[in-house]
Amino acid sequence: MKTSRRDFLKTGLALAATVSAGRFTRALAADVPAAPRTILAAVRDGTRTAMLDRALAELGGLSQFVRPGQTVLIKPNIGWDVAPDLGANTHPELVGHLVKLCRDAGAKSVSVFDHTCDQWQRCYATSGIEPAVRDAGGIVVTGDDHALYRPVEIPRGVKLKSAEVHSLVLDSDVFINVPVLKHHSGSLMTGAAKNLMGVVWDRRFYHRNDLHQCIADFLTFRKPDLNIVDAYHPMVRNGPRGRAADDVVELRSLLASTDIVAVDTAAARLLNQNPADIRHIGLAAAHGVGTTNLDALDIRRVKLA
Amino acid sequence: MRRWLKPLRVLLAVVFFGVLSAAFLDFRGLMPTRLAHAFAAMQLGPATLAAVAGSALAAGSVALLLIVTLLFGRVYCSVICPLGILQDAIARLRPRRRTATRFAPENKTIRYGFLTSALLAVALGATGVAFTLLDPYSHFGRITATLGRTALVIGNNTLVPAAQTLGWQALYRVPPPAPPLGLVLFATIAAVTVAALALWRGRIYCNTVCPVGTILGLLSRVSAFRLTIDPAACTKCADCLRACKAQCIDLRAGRVDASRCVACANCLSACRHGGIAYRFAWRRTQRAPDPQRRALVAGALAVPPLAALQAVAAAPRRAPVAPPGAHSATRLLDRCTGCQLCVTACPTQVLQPAVFDYGWLGFAKPHLDFERAFCNFDCHRCGDVCPTGAILPLALADKRLTSVGTAQFERSRCIVETDGTDCAACSEHCPTKAVNTVPFRDNLRLPAVNESLCIGCGACEFACPVRPQRAITVTARATHTRAAQAVEARPQLPKPTGDFPF
Ligand code: SF4
Ligand code: SF4
Repeated sequence: MKTSRRDFLKTGLALAATVSAGRFTRALAADVPAAPRTILAAVRDGTRTAMLDRALAELGGLSQFVRPGQTVLIKPNIGWDVAPDLGANTHPELVGHLVKLCRDAGAKSVSVFDHTCDQWQRCYATSGIEPAVRDAGGIVVTGDDHALYRPVEIPRGVKLKSAEVHSLVLDSDVFINVPVLKHHSGSLMTGAAKNLMGVVWDRRFYHRNDLHQCIADFLTFRKPDLNIVDAYHPMVRNGPRGRAADDVVELRSLLASTDIVAVDTAAARLLNQNPADIRHIGLAAAHGVGTTNLDALDIRRVKLA
Repeated sequence: MRRWLKPLRVLLAVVFFGVLSAAFLDFRGLMPTRLAHAFAAMQLGPATLAAVAGSALAAGSVALLLIVTLLFGRVYCSVICPLGILQDAIARLRPRRRTATRFAPENKTIRYGFLTSALLAVALGATGVAFTLLDPYSHFGRITATLGRTALVIGNNTLVPAAQTLGWQALYRVPPPAPPLGLVLFATIAAVTVAALALWRGRIYCNTVCPVGTILGLLSRVSAFRLTIDPAACTKCADCLRACKAQCIDLRAGRVDASRCVACANCLSACRHGGIAYRFAWRRTQRAPDPQRRALVAGALAVPPLAALQAVAAAPRRAPVAPPGAHSATRLLDRCTGCQLCVTACPTQVLQPAVFDYGWLGFAKPHLDFERAFCNFDCHRCGDVCPTGAILPLALADKRLTSVGTAQFERSRCIVETDGTDCAACSEHCPTKAVNTVPFRDNLRLPAVNESLCIGCGACEFACPVRPQRAITVTARATHTRAAQAVEARPQLPKPTGDFPF
């Protein structure tokens, strides 16, 4: 199904090219670069749902990613047993809205899980994500059941050469990564790439074997089809768990892109960090899974207010 | 009355047994802590301990239970005590024919021997051990929590694949409880003993071993309402005897031994001649017990081993961490009966029964096992359910500042030092940021502990990936203290510029 979606996109582009070719042959030859640039949608100053809607529109609509009948996995950050206003987890409103949009796009099923740090039922409930997903017609799945993980090889991994990965990541047609943007006392920042630590069983392996390299290595195995970074009120200190509600700063921003490295590069800037200081971003770029060169991207900067 | 007394008794027993069993079996955290606490707090053993510790509510429930016994006899044993009801359920399994039908006299030596030894142990300061060994509710808790719950979880986990193929999402696998072997053995021995005695002779356990039964038996000798044989109507057909689980109906003498009668009303339903009735009989006090000298001697003999047990309670290698609300390990050991209610209520399963972690006296009592999990920052279920006051309830704001231990960081073992790579798993998990990170060589961040903020929750120790010895470990506090609270100004960066910094 994954390939079929890509095929569909390719066919679509080819078709568009053919049609245009007939009409504007001359003009095209001069203006259109070989490949369209990857889009990075950066939206500010709206509600979470409005910013998501706008970002998706900039990316060509959710139908670019989710087609009728497909199974969708949404991976938010639900790591901690804390309320939404502390900013440690992706905001439930955003997750719920995304589930609804996927359902509206005709997804057969929309599943949500995280391999949490605090006790998982408490995280799911306190974060508000479980009720939000249920209300929107999605399914919440445990990340705490070892039997749901399958071992995979990661041939291009430098440190992370194999891992046990949640079967939803392996089996879903569409994989959407929805991290919350946070400070992290170890890796300086938790964004899109770091959020994917929550799809493997043995998190301690990462910590033991060069955290940043492992985070980057995983991306050579599976990149999410879409990354949406919740930067509405990023936690700017005491991360990643946070201590109090005033650890967050209201930025009212949201980033979205298919390029996970680019989205983290932009996210680091939002946190006032130098992307070069966050080692896994550079290592991921070195793996060729994305770019840190934001100038190479088609950035859609949108202010909603 | 003779018709509805037994059904009423059965109904009430089912409610009490059902709620308490559910509390101990509940592996998904569905049982409201208030409900579990309320039903456990009505148990005489725990309520007495809590009352002695100063809980007015517990004192009230002890008084109520005693008054009920003085009025109606040992209904407690038939309705409220889960171990008693468990025995009734087990006794139903035996073939009807082989039911013991004779009156059996009371074995005073054993009965009062157990009571004396329990009282002497309490007098000598081994309260916690005495209750752990003899309190019926606590035996029930251990049996249900260690054996029943484990079986239930295994059953659940076996059903999950089938449920998932049927697209039924309500079931999910949970890690099996895996209680320590010592406790499994102890609970198994208790379960087998109680079951065998129940199959053999009904409520013989309650009427010879159980000190709660013996104390209530002393009161029920003078209770207002009692089962009484009407010599005019009784035909001595012995139908009542066949129904009596306590073997306390002496037809020859025409009387019911009120001290062993658990007021189950089985005989009332069995009697076709109206020969036995539940009546007001307050004036007819039965002969006062004479706990013979033999019993006192037997009881006294049981005490030296207990005292010896206490003497060999040597300091363990690494002091275990007592749960928040326990105040200190000493206090916990003194008041805890090892019922496992807190262990089953703990959502993270960090709370585990000790075997000899606290020494002999701490057998079956809860401690925080950071190999398994860590104490959830926003949780205080254990204190909310504990019926004895061994773990006191704490308001969440207080729990968050209750320090049960302190973290020690061993830099020479830390990955940031040894491997030169970032880690901070400890700091990541720390809810108080007692472990934070400080800049270190090559753009790395090294953990640093601020002991005054640390509450000893063990999140850092649990998360630390270094083996065999972790780089950060929690040391128990002998007496729990109040941690400091960090005060921070509002963060300044990044300034919301209203623009995109890229
Ligand atoms: S407060 Fe800690 S030990 Fe007690 S039940 Fe909660 S998580 Fe378990
Ligand atoms: S330093 Fe460790 S034990 Fe202390 S509060 Fe933090 S995580 Fe808990």
